Amino acid sequence: MAIAVFFVAAALAVLGGIGVITFQQPIRSVLSLVVVMLSLSVLFLLLSAQFIFAAQIIVYAGAVMVLFLFVIALLGPARELGRGRLRFQTGLSALFLLVLLGLMWAMVQGVQYRQPDKTDLSFFGSVQSIAVGLFTTYLYPFELTSILLLVAAIGAIYLSRKRIDDL
Amino acid sequence: MSTLNIGGSQLDASWFLLLSAILFVLGAAGVLVRRNPLVILISIELMLNAANLALVTFARQLQNIEGQLFALMSMTVAAAEAVVGLAILVDIFRVRDVEDIDDLSEMKG
Repeated sequence: MAIAVFFVAAALAVLGGIGVITFQQPIRSVLSLVVVMLSLSVLFLLLSAQFIFAAQIIVYAGAVMVLFLFVIALLGPARELGRGRLRFQTGLSALFLLVLLGLMWAMVQGVQYRQPDKTDLSFFGSVQSIAVGLFTTYLYPFELTSILLLVAAIGAIYLSRKRIDDL
Repeated sequence: MSTLNIGGSQLDASWFLLLSAILFVLGAAGVLVRRNPLVILISIELMLNAANLALVTFARQLQNIEGQLFALMSMTVAAAEAVVGLAILVDIFRVRDVEDIDDLSEMKG
């Protein structure tokens, strides 16, 4: 059962990924990315990461994607022109990506897996276990992310403000 | 040892890692080949998601929560990156229409 779920979700994710890079209109790319994110959230659930599953749907498929859709709605439909200026871009990229995929494939085959720790899997990945990690060992990085978000918010407000000479 | 027992079925951790590698390469392809700056940002999100999948897979294989915590952190970073990237993009589009990211190469010094 879990195997069937994995393969359906994986196929959807790869199809969505291909959609992201092949659709000509940005709005279709964004909707393909939503498909990728939803199928990845299913995989997170398979890997007993319940909290990451919820965060993935709320933060990514919800907030970030709505942000992208808003920007597309704001900018209007932008189309890509037929050809770029760099003549060998596509060929060179294909070569580079094949090498990259081959390298990663070889790395995955050669991973030395460590003996897993003995953890209660019914507790693993739940909100409680995440919270125990976030608020004890990793409290400092957790607080730093709040500063990161504050800086990002201030930066976005600064960049999108109305300039005096525009008025 | 890389086999994961999920709901009674045996799944291999390397399947998840290979899927993550494929998604990462697709995102890299988007960044390299596409020329619309918005689509490039979307492809970067795809690559970040692929990395998250690898993190969560290793967390499950080692039965260690730290991988999931790191995935949460990278989600936060991805959200911040999207916000600032889109703000820059909107600011650029206010001045001019960019159909090709190479149009901006004149900004170099």
